[in-house]
Order: sequence, then C-alpha cells, then structure tokens
Amino acid sequence: MEELKSKLKAQIIEALNLQDTKPEDIDDNAPLFGEGLGLDSIDSLELMVLLERQYHIKVEDPREGRKILQSVQSMADFIQSKQPA
Amino acid sequence: MAERVFITGMGMITAIGDNVAENLERLRQQRSGLGFTSYIDTIYKQVLPVAEVKHNNDALFALAGITPREGYTRTTLLGLAAMREALRQAGIADIQSAPTGFINASTVGGMCDTEKVYFDIINPEKNGTFLQYIDTLDCADCTQRIADIVGFSEHIATISTACSSSANALMFGARMIKQGFLPRMVCGGTEALTRFTLNGFNSLKNIDKQFCRPFDQQRTGLNLGEGAAYLVLESESFARANNSRILAEFTGYCNANEAFHPTSPSPDGDGAYEAMKSALAMSGRTLGEVDYINVHGTATLNNDVSEGKALERLFGSGVPRFSSTKPFTGHTLAAAGAIEAIYAVLAIQQGIIFPNLNFKEKMEELNITPVTELMEGVSVNNVISNSFGFGGNNASLVISKYEG
Amino acid sequence: MAAISPQTTFQGDIFSAPLVHTDKNLLACVEPDYKPFIPANSLRRMTRVLKIGLTTALQCINGSGVETIGPIVTGTGKGSLQDTEKFIREIEQYKETALNPTPFIQSTYNSVNGLIALQVKGTAYNNTFVHRGFSFENALLDSMMLLAEGAPNTLTGAFEEITAEHFYIKSRIGFWKDAPTDNRALYETLTPGSIAGEGATFFLLTGTPAPNSKAALTGFKMLYKPAEAKLAAALAEMAAGADLVLTGRNGDSRYEHYYQQLDTLLPGIPQLPFKHLCGEHDTAGAFGMWLGAQILHAQQVPAQWFPMLKDIPATAGKILLYNHFYGEQHAIMVLERV
Repeated sequence: MEELKSKLKAQIIEALNLQDTKPEDIDDNAPLFGEGLGLDSIDSLELMVLLERQYHIKVEDPREGRKILQSVQSMADFIQSKQPA
Repeated sequence: MAERVFITGMGMITAIGDNVAENLERLRQQRSGLGFTSYIDTIYKQVLPVAEVKHNNDALFALAGITPREGYTRTTLLGLAAMREALRQAGIADIQSAPTGFINASTVGGMCDTEKVYFDIINPEKNGTFLQYIDTLDCADCTQRIADIVGFSEHIATISTACSSSANALMFGARMIKQGFLPRMVCGGTEALTRFTLNGFNSLKNIDKQFCRPFDQQRTGLNLGEGAAYLVLESESFARANNSRILAEFTGYCNANEAFHPTSPSPDGDGAYEAMKSALAMSGRTLGEVDYINVHGTATLNNDVSEGKALERLFGSGVPRFSSTKPFTGHTLAAAGAIEAIYAVLAIQQGIIFPNLNFKEKMEELNITPVTELMEGVSVNNVISNSFGFGGNNASLVISKYEG
Repeated sequence: MAAISPQTTFQGDIFSAPLVHTDKNLLACVEPDYKPFIPANSLRRMTRVLKIGLTTALQCINGSGVETIGPIVTGTGKGSLQDTEKFIREIEQYKETALNPTPFIQSTYNSVNGLIALQVKGTAYNNTFVHRGFSFENALLDSMMLLAEGAPNTLTGAFEEITAEHFYIKSRIGFWKDAPTDNRALYETLTPGSIAGEGATFFLLTGTPAPNSKAALTGFKMLYKPAEAKLAAALAEMAAGADLVLTGRNGDSRYEHYYQQLDTLLPGIPQLPFKHLCGEHDTAGAFGMWLGAQILHAQQVPAQWFPMLKDIPATAGKILLYNHFYGEQHAIMVLERV
C-alpha cells in the first residue's frame, strides 16, 4: 500500500505537471481538490485518465470520480479494490 | 439613430433536413435526427449517438451546387448548401447586386477531412492529392471557398468562440449594419462531425450514450451534431428600398463573459443571466413579452443547471416557455447559434413552440421544466435564443416578429 | 501595448536591442519568464502559445494604466497548434481511449481569450476571429465598433505560433523558401515563399486620446482578393500625408508585385519592411501596427533592426501600413502621432 501511494504521488505530479511539488509534500489524506493541492475539474478528468492508462481502471461517471479522487488514500484504496488479490 | 436589422433570408442543413422546410416538417413530426455515424472513422460508431447529415460528400456536392473536386471539405459543402438556400430565399440571384458581407463561424475548420490524411501530410514519404487538404485545416478555408464560389468580395470574417460562434457571427454582422459599414450581411456557421471533436467531448466525459435529455434530472451529457445555417441580415433602409421580404426583426443581442472556468459555466449562470438580460434590454422588450426561449440546453450536467438558474433569476416565477432543440439536431457547435436562430424565426412565423424531446424528470436544482409537447397556434412575438461556449463565452439573441 | 516576438520586444529598450537573426527560415519567439505573470497552478497546464498570448495581454494591461478592462477581442489564424497536434496524435496513439482533455480544450481558438478573461475577471464582451490575414484585422474592426458603441476601452490583440510539425506541413505547399535564408537578407533574393514567424501583440485601445496614448489609428481598410486597381485606389487615398510606409514585404516572388505597386504609387515616401523581424504568419499585421506605434510614440526608428537599408528615416508623423497574407487578405492602416 505504501509503495502504491508513493508511486501514485509521483504519477500525479507528472500527469498534472505539478512542478514545484514533491511526492513527500502530498499528505495521504489531504484533499486533492479545492484547498489541498488546488486542483480543479479538468485535473479530475486527467486523474481519471491516469487511472485508465496506468492501472487500466475506467471510471465512467464523473460523480463517482469525485469520490475516488478525494485524496491519494482514496485513490489507492480504489486501485487496490480493483486489483486481483 | 442606428438602423434596425431585419432577417430576409434563411438557409440550413441539419440531421433533420436539407433545407428550412424539411427542418420545420421534422420539428412538427417530433422526429429526432440522432442516430449513429456512417461517415466518421471511430471506435464509438455504435456507442455514441450523433446527429449526422444523412448524405455522403458526393451527395453534398450536388446540394452545394458544384461538381466534385479536391480540397472541398464536408464543412465547406454543408456551408455551401445552406448558403445557396439562404440567398435563394432572400431573392439574391447575384451577390454583387448590393455590397454584402459574409461572417462565418467554425470551431475546427476542415478537420473532418484533414484528420483522415493528417499522418500522410506529416509523412515525407507520402505524396498525393491529399496535399490539397493541407490548407483546409484552418477555419478561414471554408469561409473563403464559400465566399469565392458565391462571389462575395466585400467584408469577410470567421469567428471561433466554440459553441457560441455563429451567435457571435450574427451579432457582428448586425453591428456592422448598424454602424453603416454594409447594408447587407450573410451570417451563420458551419460544422461537420469529426473524430477530433467526438473524442474531445468524450474526454471531457460530456457525451450521453443515450439520446441527450436536456433539463432532465437523469441527463449525462450532450450528443454532437453537424450542419450549417446562414441568415441574410439587411438594414431597414436597404430592405425597404430593395422591397425585401422581411421574415423577422433581429432586435437584441449580447455577448458577456463569465470569467469563471475554461470549460464549465458558473453554477448560478452569471454569464447566461447577464447575456439574456442585456439582450432583452437592447430589444426594448419586457420580461413579460418573451414568448419562447430556445435554450442552449446541451444536456451536460453543468450547462442545464447554470442556464436554468439564470432563467429563474431573470424571470422569477414567470419563466417563459422554453425548450432545447438539441435532441433534434445534436449540438452542432459553431452552427448551433444560427440553426437555432432560424428555429426562432420559424416559431414566430408559424406560431409554434418546439418540444424538448426526451424530458421525463424535473431537475432537483430547478423549479422549472421545458415544453415537452409540440404547441401549435401560439402567439410568438419575441424569442430569446441562447448559445454558450467554452472560455465562458455567452451569447443571447432576441428575435422579434416584424410589425412594420 | 505589448509584444512577444522573435525580437526582444517584451522587455527593455527596443531602440538598443540588437537584431535577432537566424538562417533557419523560422523565427521563434524570444520568450520571457512567465512566472511573474501567471500563477503556477495555471501555468502548469498551458502550452506555449497560451503562455505567450496571456502574458502579452497582461503586460499590455499593466503598462496601460487602465484598471477596468472592457471587451477582450483577439485574432489568431491557427490557435494552439501544439495542442491541436497533440490531440490528433493521442487519438491515434491511444486508439480513442483514455484521452487527456487538456489539449482538446486548449486547441479551441478562443481559449486564450477565456484565460485572459479569467485572470483579469473580464466579464464584458469577448470575441475571437480566426481568419488568416484578417484575424487581427477583424478583431481591430470589432474593437473600433465597440468603442463607437461606447465601450470605455478594449483589449485587442493577436497570437500565433509555429511548430516544427506545422512548419513542415506548410513547406509542402510552398509557404517557405527552399534555401536557408538569413532574415537580414530576406529582401535580397526574390524566390517563392517566405520565412516563418510567430508572436503575440496586444493593444489597449480607447476611443479618445489618453495622456499615455502611443498613437492614433486614423484609417483602416481590409480588402479581400482585390483587383490591382481597387487596391491601388485604396492605397493612394489612404497614403495622403503619410511620411513613412511600413510594408509587409516578405521576399516571396509570387506576391511581390503588390508591394512593387506600392513603390510605384508612393515613390517619394521612405519605407520600412518588418517581416524580417517577426517572420510571416497570419497575424504579422499586429506586429506591424505595434512597430508603427512605437516609432510614432518614441519619434525614433530602431535603426539597428534595419541593417539592409541605407537611408533610415529619423522619425515619422503619419504612417501608412500595408500588409497582405499570401496575396489573399490585404490590410491598410493609417497611424498618426497623438
């Protein structure tokens, strides 16, 4: 799980081109949108693309997407729940 | 005192008809133009509905009144077909009979054809007639080809403000008339379906896999469409001297920006509110005199909330009858403003209000619902037509019955 | 006003800035540091022409002294080519699945306008013209109408980029010269094609002179594929009283006759060509207007930018600007000292 989360942080930074952010700057449970990293709805679409390209998980409904993309923790939980055990 | 501006000709082609009369008939029959694409090369052929014009390019050459030749994109051909009808209807046999400008609108120019040969174009090993499509990618190409065939030699321009492009073209033309630059303008837009835009809106998760459901609680997005529409605008003095047949008066317009978000409207519809309010003020009509609103109504989650809120804010408890005609034509992007302006004229001429197809359930955010049944024999004197686009670009037009 | 161009026009003194030159047949912009202008959170997604366009617009506003921006009107022939190319490529590469929406959004021609409006909270009229050599010119016409209709000011500009891919594409239909040509020698050998360029130029326009006005636009005409006689008549009429002519001459033998016509019509008036500075592109006319306004305002010509000329006029009071884009869209402007 920890490995997945740190990998995910690096992938988020790369996908969204967060130049001045380092993986360790992102708290597992901090909100990605609004206050936290200051991401917006276009970023949420880009993060869904990340899930699809890197983890082959497709999120169809943007409303569902918002829940999954709350934090790095929620993304990691979702990825793990979709991976074969 | 600036001149009044009259609409004296209209021409169109959409998924529900090759001309204005066919469009009207299909609107009356309440038959949608949505279906699946025959002409776009996409993996979503049987997945994402579109409202496609039911002709291949060879047939479109005939409608456009020219023999098939290289370099003419579907965007150009749709535009030419609509242009021919608009001029015919306005009784213009020779465009040179009076100084006439042409304001066109396009969102992706000739992408419909260039995307098919793009990788050949950038491949030095490949050569062939496809090279004739290189210059068709930009938005001016279709404008100039239409202008050259029809014979426009005065002012020409192309506008691209996403989904509000042709509403802005109409506005720009009307303003040029009012300021005395030219007495007659032909304004509108043309849009062909492309793999580029289909994938673009799909990447925004904005496309409904079912037929679109504007203002419905269960809506999940828009369906794209294609088509073209042009309106002939004339100054009052020219129309009278020329003895033109006046179809309606273009009484008000406004373009306002939201400055909220690159693609999403503000939740309270600030831009839509401002555009409708100012356009109506310009028209000199009161809120109570608006008989019908042809809403932008794309059926995306955000648009309909935002536009609906703006309607409630502006009209309070007296929101006029409104409907989105996008379930008929799909969202035709750059052509939408002009297509819907023609529908506004038809509503006035015929005393008819078009139904908002596919509506079942009221949105929880709103207290209002669209017209769902075809209404005939209604007195329609003033119509607001809304077109809102990316970049916060909001345009509203007011079209009124001509009363001398 | 402000300009990002292949010359160092954005910051510093243009009258001492050396002429930037290359023999690549492609003049690329000298780009500033964008961070002082655009928040990092917005900057991260933007491609080149968006940054160039937005930053030029913001610099223009900063220098204008105007607090509340009215209508925003722009012209661009090609919009964000980098985003358009990227989205076409990704559709192919990812077989239409899992596509990132950003290049699609940014490929929209009015995206720069939207970004400017967002950053300056510009909620007035907003429009974008996309018509090759009439893109900026229509934006200018629209702005003049808006001012006549009572707008307090307009932010009016143009932006264009050239990418390696688009440079190659246009080379296939004869846009550029075959032989490597140094921009300093652009006017020496007339052969088919020109050299490519790019840039962004913005103006803050008002309907009446202000204390810091740089110049006045007193005449303006667009002519679409005009007959030679019609063009000559317009040029002759608008040239009355002009003491300097700026020309869009670009070394392209196929369309040089239009400029030669100008030479014949106005034999006694000194000329300055400007395409060796900005390269040929859809909205190069905006750069020409910027240069004219600079000369009128400073009452000085950046002589170091014209090493190919023997006699350089010291100054000017009334400038005729004539430019056309590959023989199709012709624009004539008259600029005067305020």
